[in-house]
Amino acid sequence: MKLVIEQTRMELSTLLRNYEQLLLILVIPVGILVFFGNVQVLPDSVSLSRLVSSVLTLSIMSTAMVSTGIATGFERSYHVLKRLGATPLGRERLIWAKAMSVAMVETAQIAVLLVIASIMGWSPSVVTWWKLIAAIVLGTSAFAGIGLTLAGRLRAEANLASQNGLYLALLAVGGIIVPIDELPDAMALIARILPSGALAEAMHTSLGGATSDAWFSYASGSGVWLDLLGWAIVAPIVASRLFRFDG
Amino acid sequence: MSTVFVVIMPVNNTALAVRDLVIRYGDITAVRSVSFEARHGEVTAILGRNGAGKTSTLEACEGLRKATSGSLRVLGKDIAEVDNASRTRIGVMLQDGGIAPSARVFSLVRHYCRLYDRGVEPRRLLEQVGLQHRASSTWRRLSGGERQRFSLALALAADPDIAFLDEPTAGVDLDGRDMIRDIIAELTAKGCCVVLATHDLDEAERVAQHAVVLHRGEVVLDDTVENLRSGQRRLEDVVREVTR
Repeated sequence: MKLVIEQTRMELSTLLRNYEQLLLILVIPVGILVFFGNVQVLPDSVSLSRLVSSVLTLSIMSTAMVSTGIATGFERSYHVLKRLGATPLGRERLIWAKAMSVAMVETAQIAVLLVIASIMGWSPSVVTWWKLIAAIVLGTSAFAGIGLTLAGRLRAEANLASQNGLYLALLAVGGIIVPIDELPDAMALIARILPSGALAEAMHTSLGGATSDAWFSYASGSGVWLDLLGWAIVAPIVASRLFRFDG
Repeated sequence: MSTVFVVIMPVNNTALAVRDLVIRYGDITAVRSVSFEARHGEVTAILGRNGAGKTSTLEACEGLRKATSGSLRVLGKDIAEVDNASRTRIGVMLQDGGIAPSARVFSLVRHYCRLYDRGVEPRRLLEQVGLQHRASSTWRRLSGGERQRFSLALALAADPDIAFLDEPTAGVDLDGRDMIRDIIAELTAKGCCVVLATHDLDEAERVAQHAVVLHRGEVVLDDTVENLRSGQRRLEDVVREVTR
């Protein structure tokens, strides 16, 4: 446990020195929440409550997938992972340290976003905490799996471009900000399968919001959770099969 | 009544035993049935041209590369049994460092000292490799020679019983080479087994007691440096002859 804590400390201090990652995990989600919460440019179906759950989804995606994926991709290309594999830390504890640092960053992100949302007037009627935590855990597992699959196979630069491209694509058409049913049919069909919309919907209902047909018309509440669960199981399995420590 | 002093010598001084090591990458066989031993208190140099199989052999010994077949025993343990606890006694210096460009010198050395937990003091370690004045620099701001010494410091954080050093003097200036040579001499004086892979035959001649020459993945020479240099020949000439 001592080595996991030491490696987690190192992961977090590296993250804090990396301004691009701080922009991604904190500045962009806060910026989106504040901007779209104050400027009426989104469809009427996007209430403040919906926006909060969407931005929480975005923050999980940015930490678990993009930030972890890009950092790990570069570590792989610089042979940092290989070098750490030759220390007493070992691969298993390295993975635990990365998971712990993701959990700590997400906790801080969510706390900051919820405080800002409260200042903006967001006041959820009922919060189902176990559902909220389950959504965060499943979403983190799904997005970390996707991020590490890309990081473990692609060259660092290609990985960087792919993670950023995927982030923007999911933000725009992944059911996070724009309601799925307002997308063109073909795009909506794909968006309904993606984990981003499912996580946003799971977050929304956990925070006391009503299920909206405009967001997930194909599925009842359980369909959303099954979709998210599927991604949370399959993505890490794919990552563990495809990931190469040495790039 | 007379007192009898008994000096106990280790029965087996072997720190590394490689037997019939084969490493294949797809259809390419990089290492073909390589066997050699390296002893405590000695420097074993693995020599050869580019692509001879030096780094593959070294990485298999470090547990970073899976052998296709053959056996490897490191510090008396089969490589498959070398667990994280055993790694506290194994120092590794990779050919390409394995360090992120944004890593700060002191911060990473302290981190490795904590991971190995062998009581090595990070500031003393930086002084040993002559990087105390670069403690707050990042890897990307170091010169080629400083990067090599930084990488060596991470291997020394283990206070190793066996150290695998891949091209430790590549790109290092004369003063830096002297420093690295001294460090290697200190390691062997403490009984550490140093296994180094290098292109630099002059350097090998200066620091190594034992040389293993690889050519196209096979061992073509395995002897003491003293024997190889018999008749006042330079090690470089001997190696050139057998790797032609």
